[in-house]
Amino acid sequence: MKTTPHFQDADTFYEQLLDAHTGLSREQSELLNARLILLLANQIGAKDVLAECIQAARELPR
Amino acid sequence: MSAAYHDVAYTNGYEFTQGKGYELPEYPFVEPPELKTGEVRRHPIVIIGAGITGLTLACGLARLGIPAVLLDEDNTVGVKGASSRGICYTQKSLEIFQRLGVYERIAAKGIQWSVGRTFAGQDEVYSFDLRQNSSYSLSAQPPFINIQQFYIEGYLVERIYELGHVDLRWKSRVSGFKQHAGYATLTVDTPAGPYALEAQHVIDASGSHTPFHAWTGATMTSRRGDDRWCIADVRFKHRPPQERHTWIEAPFNGNRAVWQHLMGDEVWRIDYQMEPNADPEHVSREDVVRERLRLQFGPDVQAEIVWVGPYAYRSQCLDRLRIGSVFFMGDTAKIVSPFGARGGNTGVADADNLAWKLAAVLRGQAPATLLDSYNDERHEAAAQNVMVTNRTARFLRPAEGMERTFRSAAISLARQHPFARALINTGRMAVANSYTHSGICDRSGGLSVQNVSFRWADHSAGCVNDLIEWTGGQLLVLVFGDISAAAAQRLRHLGSAAPVRCVQVVGPDTRPQAREFVIDPQGHLQGACHVFGHAWALVRPDAYIAATGESVDAGLIQAIERAIGIKE
Repeated sequence: MKTTPHFQDADTFYEQLLDAHTGLSREQSELLNARLILLLANQIGAKDVLAECIQAARELPR
Repeated sequence: MSAAYHDVAYTNGYEFTQGKGYELPEYPFVEPPELKTGEVRRHPIVIIGAGITGLTLACGLARLGIPAVLLDEDNTVGVKGASSRGICYTQKSLEIFQRLGVYERIAAKGIQWSVGRTFAGQDEVYSFDLRQNSSYSLSAQPPFINIQQFYIEGYLVERIYELGHVDLRWKSRVSGFKQHAGYATLTVDTPAGPYALEAQHVIDASGSHTPFHAWTGATMTSRRGDDRWCIADVRFKHRPPQERHTWIEAPFNGNRAVWQHLMGDEVWRIDYQMEPNADPEHVSREDVVRERLRLQFGPDVQAEIVWVGPYAYRSQCLDRLRIGSVFFMGDTAKIVSPFGARGGNTGVADADNLAWKLAAVLRGQAPATLLDSYNDERHEAAAQNVMVTNRTARFLRPAEGMERTFRSAAISLARQHPFARALINTGRMAVANSYTHSGICDRSGGLSVQNVSFRWADHSAGCVNDLIEWTGGQLLVLVFGDISAAAAQRLRHLGSAAPVRCVQVVGPDTRPQAREFVIDPQGHLQGACHVFGHAWALVRPDAYIAATGESVDAGLIQAIERAIGIKE
């Protein structure tokens, strides 16, 4: 799992992500997020990396 | 939780409710010798339960000439009063049934299909054609056959009567059990009164309501969900296409799942997922069933209802499949949801795993420790099957909230992009489970061998099962390619000194050096044994690889010793 920056353009990605959710209900946003997670997970593919990402997402900073 | 919800029996069996049912054969109760003489006899093997698992074991032993007693509380096949349970038998099971001599009857009565379609809402999400899947195509048996379970059970009973060696005792219910060092005592109730018998090996194949878990103090992990289903086995006047259709969300069933597949006798099985709080009596009432059929097939559907059964399922896995002299197999070892046909098929594999081991030990060809490998191998399989079926159950009955959101995401993506079809889990078909930490398999072994074809020395066609039949329950050493004179000498010696049969496998234009050889013109036999080039494969009587290697040397001897339970 990469933890150092790998984005070509982090600000553009972040803006696109927010724009995609603009005007959606909570339910529509949840579905969009779920679809996005599944699409991105397939880009990664590797099961160890996916498991590490899930674990890292669960660990909030203290 | 409503009262009706509570009342649902947690069972993997199907309770008969209504419909015309099937006519099942009945077998005679014969008064056993113990009742006449009062003598308590000790039997090497006593099997409890003449279901598909117990009968497969009994038939496997009978084929090897090993005596056993089979006790069943009923006098017919199928669950008492019901007669429709498993319907789908996979290639590995069919290969086992071929060895037991009942495959031809199964193939004649059963249905083969290869096209499956999955729907959500009005749309097809994806479809597949198994004929396009090359991994299934080399075996002499098809990917699977759909047939009512009781037919296979009936064929096995008739085959056992034909073979002899196994004493089938009907209407014999085990009511008491006591474990001793090296054997157990059983009390058996019969119409002619109770009697006692002793058994060196007790095989519990009596199903999900077994009393042996309590008697032996077996420990297990269990999980119960609230998923509810109702089966309708029906015969149509105008038959639907011979394809398997599955709806994850069927508009005609309240957006819940529906399964539709064909079995023998032109009977279709339709499984309807019900509301979690559905009342089983209501959902299986004839007028309610007919209404569901009208919603699915149109207002004019003409169908004869053969059998109806509501069911719920649990998942359960024993911590150990052997306790003292008792071995657990089939539904006494593990219970899974029906998705992927992993119940019956793995019971058949449990039986096939233990049959040759019991035969080798009772013939004095292997130490009793060989039997410990049954737990190593089949517990790994049980745990794997419980895990896989639990995942399917979670997809088909997602928790409200995020689990359902992710399912909606997966379904919508699967309509648009091929990658997401991998996430659609309507059941993962049972496979021949691999053994990765068996005490009797090398790291190079533990894989199943498909029943592929080759040519005998006289160029007539043969298949892996013929070779296994020829060994009569012994190990089979296949040596691929040329062998040196010294290696040929070693193989000859091995064949006379150890419980193995050795066969050289040559290409179409190679001269054989060994006495026994077969020809593998297209390399299918070699591929099935998972080896390349000059190599040997040690094949067990259950068509699993114990080990593979390159040169015929001490490594092969060690692999043979290990495969029959002689610890290094």
